Amino acid sequence: MSECGPHCEETLREVERYLDGELDPRQAELIAHHLSDCNPCMGRADFRRHLKELVHDRCAERDAPAALVARISALLHETATDP
Amino acid sequence: MAQTEALDDPALRARFERDVLPLLPSLYGAALRYTRNPSDAEDLVQDAVLRAYRGFASFREGTNLKAWLYRILTNSYISTYRKKQREPKTVEGPDDIDEWYLFDRLGARNVEGSAEEEVLDRIPDADVKAALESLPENFRMPVLLADVEGFSYKEIAEIMDTPIGTVMSRLHRGRKALEKALWQTAKERGLVDE
Repeated sequence: MSECGPHCEETLREVERYLDGELDPRQAELIAHHLSDCNPCMGRADFRRHLKELVHDRCAERDAPAALVARISALLHETATDP
Repeated sequence: MAQTEALDDPALRARFERDVLPLLPSLYGAALRYTRNPSDAEDLVQDAVLRAYRGFASFREGTNLKAWLYRILTNSYISTYRKKQREPKTVEGPDDIDEWYLFDRLGARNVEGSAEEEVLDRIPDADVKAALESLPENFRMPVLLADVEGFSYKEIAEIMDTPIGTVMSRLHRGRKALEKALWQTAKERGLVDE
């Protein structure tokens, strides 16, 4: 972080909350503005964004096991028809 | 486990099926990451969905259904399944991990000509899942809820019944621990030079 001044430090401290969408709009605007002007910070922010997307894409399950879905549906219907 | 009771109101029952059943894949995914075991994950989802069914009459439409379900799932896991689980031993606390652990290592010892992101992309899916599952539960849960499920800090605090500051701290430390686990994986897979 050799070229980093105070703005870089603050940006990198806040970049996690920024990427999580947890900053208020004014703070987010300041971070976005700094990132657009600072390639080293942008590189780090892009990396973190990529990592976040990777975890999202690779750790989600697209389907529940059919047997589980069938079992749950059956249980709901059983209780519905058998008071 | 208590028997399910029929919801008296057929419209309510129909709404439960309409709104909750489509969330089964993501609930199952979370259950898998919680329990790290497909059979326990199925039991956990079934248990949580039936609990939700019994409590659905008191759920107010227009409030956050997904967060409500995850709260039930998480509570079910903590009260029932966690006891059976053996936690992975924590080799070291995530506190010891550098702020930009993975970025700095990939940048310094990268395979020639490829960007940091490309190294990450070559890690197989199963290894990314395993890396997440290797985290201690207190760190695994917030990372899963934030990055896989897209919940806000406030929602995670409600789901985990934890103050928001604790969520932020655990999320931050959990992500660092995940970076370390991914670096380990990348080395083992020969994706980066030792």
